Amino acid sequence: MLNVYLFQVLNGLGLGMIYFLISVGLTIIFGLLNFVNFAHGAFFLLGSYLCYTVVTLTGNFWLSLFVAPLGVALLAWITEQVLIKRAYHLPHTFQILITLGMALIIREASIMIWGPIGKSVPTPAGLDGVFRLGSFAYPEYRLFMIVFAAVIGLLLWFLLERTRFGALVRAGSEDTETVSLLGTNIFKLFSLTFALGVGLAGVAGVLSAPIRGAHPFLGEEVLGIAFVVVVIGGMGSFTGALVGGLLVGLVQSLMTTIWPQGASLMIYGAMAAVIMLRPYGLFGRS
Amino acid sequence: MDRRTFLKASLAASSSLLAAPALVRNAWAADAVSLYGVKSMSGAFASYGKFANMGSELAIKQYGNLLGAPVRYTTIDTEGNAGKAVRKVQEAIQQDNARLFQGCTLSSSALAVGKEVAKVNGVFMTPAGADELTGVECNRSTFRWSAATYGAINQTVRPLIELLPKAKRWYTITPQYVFGDALLSNAQAIFDEKGIEHVGNSYHSLQEQEFSGYLTNAMAAQPDVLLILNFGGQSTSTLRQAVNFGLHKQMTILVAWSAGLDQFQTLGSDVIEGVYLGAQYWHQVDTPMNKELVKAVKDAYGITPNYPLAADYIMTKVMLDAVKTSGGVSEKTISALEGLTYEGPTGTETIRKGDHQVLKSYYLLKGKAASAMKDADDLAEIISSGRSFPSEDAVGCKMG
Amino acid sequence: MSTTPTSSIWRGTTLLAVAAVVLMPVILPSPTLATEILIFALAALASNLLLGYTGLLSFGQGVFFGAGSYCSALVMIHWHFGLFPALLVGILAGALTAFVIGALAIRRTGIYFVMLTLSFSQMAYFVAYTMSSVTGGDNGLLNVPRPPVSVLGFELLSLASPLVFYGFVALLFLAVFVAARRVIHSPFGSTLVAIRENENRASAVGYDTRQFKVLAFVLSGAITGLAGALYALLLNFVPLSNIELATSEHILIMTIIGGTGSLLGSLLGAGSIVLLGDVLSALWPRWPMLLGLALIAVVMFLRGGLWGGLLDLKNRLIRSPEPPQPDTRQKDAAQ
Repeated sequence: MLNVYLFQVLNGLGLGMIYFLISVGLTIIFGLLNFVNFAHGAFFLLGSYLCYTVVTLTGNFWLSLFVAPLGVALLAWITEQVLIKRAYHLPHTFQILITLGMALIIREASIMIWGPIGKSVPTPAGLDGVFRLGSFAYPEYRLFMIVFAAVIGLLLWFLLERTRFGALVRAGSEDTETVSLLGTNIFKLFSLTFALGVGLAGVAGVLSAPIRGAHPFLGEEVLGIAFVVVVIGGMGSFTGALVGGLLVGLVQSLMTTIWPQGASLMIYGAMAAVIMLRPYGLFGRS
Repeated sequence: MDRRTFLKASLAASSSLLAAPALVRNAWAADAVSLYGVKSMSGAFASYGKFANMGSELAIKQYGNLLGAPVRYTTIDTEGNAGKAVRKVQEAIQQDNARLFQGCTLSSSALAVGKEVAKVNGVFMTPAGADELTGVECNRSTFRWSAATYGAINQTVRPLIELLPKAKRWYTITPQYVFGDALLSNAQAIFDEKGIEHVGNSYHSLQEQEFSGYLTNAMAAQPDVLLILNFGGQSTSTLRQAVNFGLHKQMTILVAWSAGLDQFQTLGSDVIEGVYLGAQYWHQVDTPMNKELVKAVKDAYGITPNYPLAADYIMTKVMLDAVKTSGGVSEKTISALEGLTYEGPTGTETIRKGDHQVLKSYYLLKGKAASAMKDADDLAEIISSGRSFPSEDAVGCKMG
Repeated sequence: MSTTPTSSIWRGTTLLAVAAVVLMPVILPSPTLATEILIFALAALASNLLLGYTGLLSFGQGVFFGAGSYCSALVMIHWHFGLFPALLVGILAGALTAFVIGALAIRRTGIYFVMLTLSFSQMAYFVAYTMSSVTGGDNGLLNVPRPPVSVLGFELLSLASPLVFYGFVALLFLAVFVAARRVIHSPFGSTLVAIRENENRASAVGYDTRQFKVLAFVLSGAITGLAGALYALLLNFVPLSNIELATSEHILIMTIIGGTGSLLGSLLGAGSIVLLGDVLSALWPRWPMLLGLALIAVVMFLRGGLWGGLLDLKNRLIRSPEPPQPDTRQKDAAQ
């Protein structure tokens, strides 16, 4: 029996890394642009569907891992130019409503393009095996996802903390005027950041496609988890997304052994408790 | 565009029509038989409603004239919401004097719509899964085509036990609600009878989409067979993730209540290869009527019929037959259906009088390897089939 | 935003509501459809009290709606409550859940407030789904009766006929509409608007803003609970979806598209969206896309929603040299 808990901890950590990847884009956009994106799940969905299309056409998953997030980021960039940039200054409530509208449009458009029936993406060749540890088996593909999420996390950290781009964006989110006085086009910077955050949702969508497939209502499921992770970790905090993701993954995995029906109750209960007790999450700044 | 839709559209376009509906309604009152298809065209179950509607439309078209006029068919979109379904059915009953209804994917919609139709002694035929439809919540007007959970388990678990005499340890994954519990208790009864060791069960909520935790539990119990008792999107996720975890190489997997072809198309042969799947309908069933149906659907839509299409096709057809027998829509139509035996896609089917359950076959399929498939839809082969239903006394149905 | 009771637009509002309620069963294809519109108009109006007048975006409206429908249905089924006692139970259930959720949620603001209402909504759904022996779980609660109007045990009027039931719902709707207008124009209402406009200033002036917000929640919950109870009576059935997050979203979208900060807007919003679903779903199943577009359009360009748009149109057509009508459109203050 003890073994089961050990397995669940390992599985939970794996799940947590996936959740980190799903939520990190959301938290970046909130932290740097102070923008609440309820369409994050919908862009994730697009990533999954684009992955399906590319894999169906070319049979190459790795190509889709490159092309699909770019496609999603491009669409995000266009949306930003047309709509989102006019909404940065609006209260969060209005941002929620606008992006809720976008999510509806993307979902229905996906049904128009890909049909109401879900799609599957096969596990990429070479990763379709199983990693064994005694009687415990773990899919190689999920292992790959964990490593990949870790690499993405590191790259992001480097980009935001160690490059000029990151420094400017961080400075811009604190004080828009000063940065524009420095001669930097702050709006271009914001557009890029938005496209980056949403592109990460696309990456997560592609990576999860072999596990979850793609179906029209996937976006809503993912959005719920992403917000729970981000709120628990602290909205806008990079470390928070990582710790929050791991925590939610662990709780969810352990709950399947302890009290499975209560898994979602537990997760949303935890989110409520965190907001009540530590309003800015575990790692958030006030 | 049918009359009602047209009316509403014109109303929406201009409110100057004011009292027109009442006038137009009378003007249109003809003797044609009207049948209403209650389908989830938009919303979360649109994948089902689309095909179900195609089935009904095909049946109507093929039928041609009934009692001297073409049948009038109206689609009622439930928007995937039981409340909307009930309200729109009420409206059809009150405004258009509607009496014939067919459809409802969701058990909740089907149960509530059945109650509404029963108030006016209409006829309602549904493929929904809840056993209550022909059990404790049964009524004179409601008929159900799909086999009950009892049959689904007995026609999948039993043959698989015979097929794999050495598989003594079974693990189950069950959604926690009435339907899942019904499947589970039916399975446990067979386990007890056959001396099978039930090494564990994982309950999960209806919202769950991540099954790695449950699969880990299953793995730790080291069963010979993994019995998956959820359905729809959840069984798709469970099965896909089970294959990710390599469980199909360690144990036999059985999905007792699969959705059939559309679900297999979603999953693809690399996931369902070697997996046992219970199904209400399969297009390769070798009956004369099914062969005609497959051909008719190919001609009309260019696709292979799946379960929602076939189910709603045959129900629509049977209802129209009953109207013909009873010479018009009346309470006699109910009597005409009770005890009726007809040629359906699964062979000779009978509507049991006591609980209005259609007695039909249920199938145990096995997913094929891609190399063995003759065409894109040849995703599985029939391993066994048969019908088992609880006795009329056991279902708890008391017709009012 | 004007709150003066003498404003000409406001005087006409109640008359317009009465006219709409009388005309609806004549114009619409059925009284049942009209009843559904009024029920959701009640829910949207209640959501409007929070969003439009107090600036609180609550995803908890479905909880109040569900609580109202479950509780009133249960007392009718098991304890054979009459019509008015059952409705009262629905109202109380809505008010009570709103009190609990509101009192907890208003401790935070902005996105954190929204997230709290969202998680309470998910938890309430879980409770309803798990307690299936009481609520019927996923199958829904069946066999809900529709008792007649009766006083002291004397049956006065059966509500079995759809048109009569519509009349009953319409009277309740108008009563709530007028009551809500009075609340808005009371000092309490002005305080709510003051909180919406600038919470810090309101509390600096000496208002206990939390208390006002909780009261707004209770009021909104009570009306939503009533709407839920009426919905159970209409359908003779309580689907689990009543308490889903999607119901909250649905109510919010009606409120916003109709127009926040105007009660008639809620009727317009509920009416147009229910009708749209009825008309378009048969022609074009992808119609929810239009809702998405409308949502964006309203927030970006037409903050007053459909009702605000109509007012603008009216002002443009009847060009008067006088200053424009009091602006019922909401300002950027819904935080």
